[in-house]
Amino acid sequence: MLANNLSLNIVELGHFCAYLAMIVALVQGLAPIAAHYLRVPRLAQLSVNASIAVFVLTTIGGLSLVQAFVTSNFSVQYVAQNSNTLLPIFYKVAALWGGHEGSLYLWVWILTFYTMIVGWLGRKHYPEHLPVILAVQGWLMVGFFGLILFLSNPFDRLFPVPMEGNDLNPLLQDPGMVGHPPMLYLGYVGFSVPFAFAMTALITRWRSELWVGLIRRWALIAWGFLTTGIILGGWWAYYELGWGGYWAWDPVENASLMPWLLGTALVHSITVQDRRRMLHAWNIFLVISTFSLSLLGTFLVRSGVLSSVHAFAVDPGRGMYILVFMALVLTVSFGIFMAKGRYQQAEEVITSYMSREALFVFNNVLFIVACSVVLLGTLYPLALDALSGMKITVAAPFFNTIMVPILMVVILLMAIAPLVPWRKVNIERLRTRLLWPLIIGASVTVAMLVFMQPVHWVGPVAVGLALFALANLLADYLRAVRQRRAQLKEPFIRAGIKTVLGNRRHYGGMIVHLGIVIISLGLVGSGLFRSDQTVSMAPGDVVEVSGEKLRFDGVTSLKHENYSAIQGQLTLLNSGRTVKPQLRRYPRQEAPTTETSIDSTMLRDVYVVMAQSNDGQKWAIHVYVNPLMRFIWGGGIIILSGIFLSLTSRRRKRDAREPAGAAEPAQ
Amino acid sequence: MKSLVSLFLRPSALICGFLLFVHIAMPVLAAEVTEDPLERQTLDIAKDLRCAVCQNESVADSKAGLAHDMRAIIREQLKAGKSRDEIVDYFVARYGNYVLMKPPTHGAGEVIWLAPLVLLVVIGLSGFVFLRRRLRSTLPPPPPLSKEDAARVRAARRQQDT
Repeated sequence: MLANNLSLNIVELGHFCAYLAMIVALVQGLAPIAAHYLRVPRLAQLSVNASIAVFVLTTIGGLSLVQAFVTSNFSVQYVAQNSNTLLPIFYKVAALWGGHEGSLYLWVWILTFYTMIVGWLGRKHYPEHLPVILAVQGWLMVGFFGLILFLSNPFDRLFPVPMEGNDLNPLLQDPGMVGHPPMLYLGYVGFSVPFAFAMTALITRWRSELWVGLIRRWALIAWGFLTTGIILGGWWAYYELGWGGYWAWDPVENASLMPWLLGTALVHSITVQDRRRMLHAWNIFLVISTFSLSLLGTFLVRSGVLSSVHAFAVDPGRGMYILVFMALVLTVSFGIFMAKGRYQQAEEVITSYMSREALFVFNNVLFIVACSVVLLGTLYPLALDALSGMKITVAAPFFNTIMVPILMVVILLMAIAPLVPWRKVNIERLRTRLLWPLIIGASVTVAMLVFMQPVHWVGPVAVGLALFALANLLADYLRAVRQRRAQLKEPFIRAGIKTVLGNRRHYGGMIVHLGIVIISLGLVGSGLFRSDQTVSMAPGDVVEVSGEKLRFDGVTSLKHENYSAIQGQLTLLNSGRTVKPQLRRYPRQEAPTTETSIDSTMLRDVYVVMAQSNDGQKWAIHVYVNPLMRFIWGGGIIILSGIFLSLTSRRRKRDAREPAGAAEPAQ
Repeated sequence: MKSLVSLFLRPSALICGFLLFVHIAMPVLAAEVTEDPLERQTLDIAKDLRCAVCQNESVADSKAGLAHDMRAIIREQLKAGKSRDEIVDYFVARYGNYVLMKPPTHGAGEVIWLAPLVLLVVIGLSGFVFLRRRLRSTLPPPPPLSKEDAARVRAARRQQDT
């Protein structure tokens, strides 16, 4: 009883700390404003200390919830709804972000964590601007704490206390689900840091050279987490949802893709500002838009507007709050942008259409079109339904038709642009460099068209483009290595490693491109060359799907900690390996859930789902053969290593000379 | 007593033995099952229809009860000899255009198909106009310094002079 009382009190302590955190965040947001208007500059420092306090308080609140989950304290409503005594401890902790309230708490927890890091780094590197940065973050925290504590409170109690919890959704009881939401949120919330820097740059008229590196670095970190989150989400969907695919153009998926697309535009165009001192205001605009789309993503997923616009209109509380909050963030940030944007001005001009900076502009055009298409496709059906009551479906067929060509142009651009130098290209040289890769790509396309008789023109063309890009990447790298060897007389391997380590930013980016090429090959393989069969099998039956023979060996029953299962076994006759799809029954769940089983090799996945049997003799088995699936996950790992390499580059020391022409004061 | 050998050589025994052999060797000579063509046709139609209670899932991919029922209806109608278009029309008559995975190219769906083109033209043109302006013009004059900055510059100059 004593222990029980103690754990009750720990939750109340956490609840109290969360309120306190909101108040301290308010102080953090107000301090620099007060310092400015009351003319007490020292007051601004308060926000620096506040940022640490907010993180500590939020952490106490978060840990108290974790404790409630681990001890199965069902007096907490959120715990009762999302956990169960039978749940393995691993999932009890992960259940913290299994529902609305907890995942919003995770959002703000991550926000306080980032803010603390920014505060810690800022004392040394940008102390003058730090209070303003932290104030922007502070206001965001206040907004989210308001939502959490007043409308969506994970600390809410439930009386009478139930004996047993409702259990975590079985689909979420999976290692992929443990990693996916925190990664995605580290990405979403990560964009709040560039946002705070951009706002500060506008408000304080911060000089471009001083903030561009900071925004670049933080945007890259956020983009890396978002990429990881999206790929983990795809991986989870692939083996958990059992329809053979990994990306359904579901609005929830689109919600994470939109900030990713704009973030991609941002990490490219910020380089133009860094190297060629232009696009300052444009980058700030991109930062604001990317963060707004992160907020929109949270809004779409967490407001319930997707399941039904009418439910949203009837019970507006939570959704309306996020909508108003978003409108405020947009109005204030774009308002400041319009008022102060002119102080962030280009310092140089573009000299040629065929220069890297011009191609970066083209890159931005493509990614913004892509992002707008996704935005429109996601919101248009909602708006149409809300305004006219007409319902249409905008789903995979639409998005694939529109996005695939755009992404093919993106790959084409990705193949050529890294060969084009800043300022102006030597067309002759570019032509010779492109010749061989072009021949390779084109001949593969032609060969595929002739010998494979593919169902769709996209496959051969996309593979040709990807190989064109790949050949360019390798050739460019080998040229750099050869040059280094000629100059320094180094052995090949040493020169190869030194080339990469000597220019980490560039080769980090090229490794990311390599990952994208490999992922696109995986997308083409699994998207256009997949084959599947649904068959009814009795033990001993054999089915053949694109050369893979599978024999059904029968079923056995299994009992697990928190579910019971019927497990089928199929032997892959080509290799002797087995796959074991399951039908699981969780307590408190009506329908059984299917558990896919996958036999994966470098070139193909055999993906097997077993459905309910009608007579106990024959089982409906769905077999998919998905080519090149590992390319997608492997490409993801390559992308991450590229980002990591890029982030380890030291910032170049540069002289902070006055921008040309600004030396004369206007009298 | 007849010899044991002759017992095994009886025709009936030979057949039994053969069947036994077949049974043991089944993994090698097993019954190969193939997909019911009706099932393939059903799924081909189902993948273009939306499971009305799901979030952006097609009837082919969804595991919801309604999707199961809709597949059963498609199967029955196929058996009754209806064509693909007739079956799709049957569902559109009941659920409206909402049931089509691909938005229609007329009416409310027209907007969504035209929009990407419009977006491409508008955004592409703005990018092009931006580049042209940056290529032609010299830089705009820098904005005037703020009062504080101007004072700072004056102070620095004074310091340099002295």
